[in-house]
Amino acid sequence: MKEKNLRIKFVPYEKLKEQKFNGIIRDLKHNTIIMVDAKLNAKEEAQIIAETMRNVSEDFSGIEFGSIDLGAESGKGNLSKIKGALIERIIGRKRGVTIIGPANVVRKIKKNPKELLLHL
Amino acid sequence: MVVRHFRVMKNRIGSLIRSLFRKRKEIKIGLYGPVNSGKTTLANRICMDWLGEELGVASVVPHETREIQMKESVTIEEDGKKLTFNLVDTPGIATKIDFEDFVKAGLKKKEAKERAREATKGVIEAIKWLDKMDLVLVVLDSTKDPVNQVNITILGNLDARDIPVIIVGNKIDLKNSNLALIRNAFPKYKIVGISAKTGENIKELYKALLREL
Repeated sequence: MKEKNLRIKFVPYEKLKEQKFNGIIRDLKHNTIIMVDAKLNAKEEAQIIAETMRNVSEDFSGIEFGSIDLGAESGKGNLSKIKGALIERIIGRKRGVTIIGPANVVRKIKKNPKELLLHL
Repeated sequence: MVVRHFRVMKNRIGSLIRSLFRKRKEIKIGLYGPVNSGKTTLANRICMDWLGEELGVASVVPHETREIQMKESVTIEEDGKKLTFNLVDTPGIATKIDFEDFVKAGLKKKEAKERAREATKGVIEAIKWLDKMDLVLVVLDSTKDPVNQVNITILGNLDARDIPVIIVGNKIDLKNSNLALIRNAFPKYKIVGISAKTGENIKELYKALLREL
């Protein structure tokens, strides 16, 4: 049986934004799971879906992705929310993590507020 | 609590501003959602109810709708209130499209590849059209787990654009329909359970639309 390698690559959010998702699509096409140190905002999520669709082929059917929003989980009170929003404004990204995997490797990502379950 | 009040106020101000400009442009109501949630069946139900003709072809084969379809000047009337809008049916949003799925659904390999290619374009188009909508009905299959990335992305994008949303929990005629799952997953949204296929509870949706716009 042919051995199949799976890579997990960390991509800083700033680099992801700079490359406008082109770079990670190249990686995703080569059995690489991408881990980003931020929760993508909704418009970025739509961008990544659109970029994926532009690249769908016989060999690359698309992606599965999911995020954990640490900002939403850090505190439920209004003060915590304001503090969290302020921190995110300063660091320029939403606190959290995003996992993006090629659909032929990651069949499904189940999301709970505090964890992501990857079905391989 | 404060955040919730702020959101309600924001929506009301948004509705007021939209109502001021309503006469100058045509209202567009979009049907968005994941693949096979019943968007075209609902579009057909609305069009049959008020125009006496269907909008598009609905099918169990995924990605039957691969282009934006619009029916102009649909007027709904309920409890003495009236609303005229253009109804926009969009292709289902997906993060993956595998031509092999169409082969499994009975299509020939060549047709399956063509359908996959068209479906990818359809998803991109649907995303582009988000900005043009005045209100969106997010159609979800109430027999399925609503917590998935596609639904989260659609709702997040509508929120980011300040577009009013009604979540339509479709397929309530089916035994395993569970609207509570949708309510628990998306508690801040207006949710109406219907069956686009049988017409069950559709009047509630019309009332909700008239209230919202």
